[in-house]
Amino acid sequence: MSSVPDLTGAVTCASIWKSFGEGEAKVDVLRGVNFMAALGEMTFLVGPSGCGKTTLISIIAGLLAPDSGTVSLFGERLSLLAPRERILFRRQYLGFVFQQYNLLPAFTAAENVAVPLVAAGWGRENAIGKAREVLTHLGLAHRTELVPQLLSGGQQQRVALARALVHEPRLIICDEPTAALDHRSGESVMERLATSAIHPDRAVIVVTHDSRVFHFAHRIIEMEDGLIRSSKKIESLNQP
Amino acid sequence: MISMAFTMLSHDGPKFLAMVLAIAMAAFLTQNQASFLVSFLAMSDSQIRDVREADLWVMDSSTECFDQAKPLKDTAAEIVRGFPGVKWALTLLKVDAPARTEAGKLSSVTILGVPEQSKVGEPRMNIGDSSVLDERDSAVIDPGGMALLYPGETFRPGMRIRIHDKWLQIKGVSNASPPFTGFPIIHVSHSTAIQLNRAESRCTTFVVGRFEADADRGKVTREIRAATGWKALTREEFEEASSRFYMDQGVPHLFYITITVGLIVGAAFSGQTFLMFVKENARAFTTLKVLGFTHGQLAVMVATMAGIVVVLGLALGTMLAVGTSFSAATMPFFRSLYLPWQVTLLCCISIGLITLITAGFAFKKVLNLEPADVFRS
Ligand SMILES: Nc1ncnc2c1ncn2[C@@H]1O[C@H](COP(=O)(O)OP(=O)(O)O)[C@@H](O)[C@H]1O
Ligand SMILES: [Mg+2]
Repeated sequence: MSSVPDLTGAVTCASIWKSFGEGEAKVDVLRGVNFMAALGEMTFLVGPSGCGKTTLISIIAGLLAPDSGTVSLFGERLSLLAPRERILFRRQYLGFVFQQYNLLPAFTAAENVAVPLVAAGWGRENAIGKAREVLTHLGLAHRTELVPQLLSGGQQQRVALARALVHEPRLIICDEPTAALDHRSGESVMERLATSAIHPDRAVIVVTHDSRVFHFAHRIIEMEDGLIRSSKKIESLNQP
Repeated sequence: MISMAFTMLSHDGPKFLAMVLAIAMAAFLTQNQASFLVSFLAMSDSQIRDVREADLWVMDSSTECFDQAKPLKDTAAEIVRGFPGVKWALTLLKVDAPARTEAGKLSSVTILGVPEQSKVGEPRMNIGDSSVLDERDSAVIDPGGMALLYPGETFRPGMRIRIHDKWLQIKGVSNASPPFTGFPIIHVSHSTAIQLNRAESRCTTFVVGRFEADADRGKVTREIRAATGWKALTREEFEEASSRFYMDQGVPHLFYITITVGLIVGAAFSGQTFLMFVKENARAFTTLKVLGFTHGQLAVMVATMAGIVVVLGLALGTMLAVGTSFSAATMPFFRSLYLPWQVTLLCCISIGLITLITAGFAFKKVLNLEPADVFRS
């Protein structure tokens, strides 16, 4: 219970406990997790399905509250923020990539990418303009006006990646970003992620159990049964 | 944010359309039925208002409205004239009789006798001049009567109508207000009316009159009542009594029911569809929450969506209601039909309020979405 949060890490979790359910049905999903993700790195969180990876990143993102333990992002304790401030913090500092892309089906690629900017109060024209820029950067210049339904899975995930980058957040959280993609598309998305997201002032957390993309990791943290089992620094073989 | 709301809404075309149409239906039904109700209530006392010169009405104590009246004895006008505060009083004869045209069209008609000297109750005219009533066996008919007895025909001199066994020349078309009964209104001279009064020996349906300018009306009517046992009412009291008579018959309830059903079905259907829309877009709303939309921003989005639906629906429904009331007003029986702006305002406010409540529920649904579900598929 007594580990001191390390403020040099971008993300520091100390002794996180989280359970779901009550009484008989109570399940301890996280059992005292200590976790750190450093600036300038891609931290992979791996482990078998059901071991608590998604629960952990939900807590890191402030979408779930831990039963106990502390989370700090860039020195800020999320649990100490008022609900509204937590939303504003997330809007400014966090970007997300989801397994199911979670693009809004009614919006074009550019409109989807513009959402975080619109949320931050940008005017529509400026937001769309910036969104097109980021999409172009990710090789989707010719797809900006299409709705998600007309895009391939790999393209949709690149749009989602653009949405996670457009507001230049300091932490990007990806949950199984390649799980719904074939190998080639997955590889391409990870390459884009590696080239665009890695930045000395930014941390990237990738939850995955897709071992084919492990070579993109700077650090691999292995989880099992609600606990961190190992944390390995990967020497820079494949780093861009 | 507003254009985002519109894009999301219009993306689900069928639901969007269903919501707008449901609101439009509610707006149309309520306004249409309310305008009928208002117009019918106006009809319930229209014949009293048409006797413009009279502000005192005396009738048998059992008479409750203009259309169903028990006659008074024929000296009644003289008796009423004798009361202090009464400037003048005279006999009004109303006869209900079966009528037949040369083409064989049949209808009950309401015949009103216009006194030869005073011309009290003389109609305003659309075609011709009311002085024709001075001529022997002549009559004027109202537009509703023209439409009913001479369908498809326009007025031409020489048209005839047979009442009992007497043929009358129709010499003009009056502008009489539509009566509640829907029967044609035939104006004739008082003496002609007496000849047509076959079912009754007495020829005084009402005594109509005027108060002296400085008379205490309440006192005058009380005195007439006390002395004669008849009902003596000011024009306003009689109008109100006639309207109340019809209201008590249950006529308005039909309208109330339709209005309520229109509101509930239209608004409930639209509201239900809106909640369904939010539910089906739960993933999108959850994503917006996670990407940093504040509660205020989400409220603006939901309110914008509800606002777009309700404004389009109300506009469409009101246009339909106005159109219907205009086109109905071209039909003689509905010629007094109108849509008061107060009705439109009230209907729009009620539907607006119901929509606001629904939008509140929808917003609550959005607030209750679990942000962490964004990672679940
Ligand atoms: N909201 C919840 N209610 C109940 N159980 C949950 C909830 N969220 C996750 N769990 C359970 O917690 C465990 C870990 O889930 P999760 O964090 O999604 O695992 P992973 O992402 O590693 O596959 C699973 O057994 C899952 O069923
Ligand atoms: Mg998971």
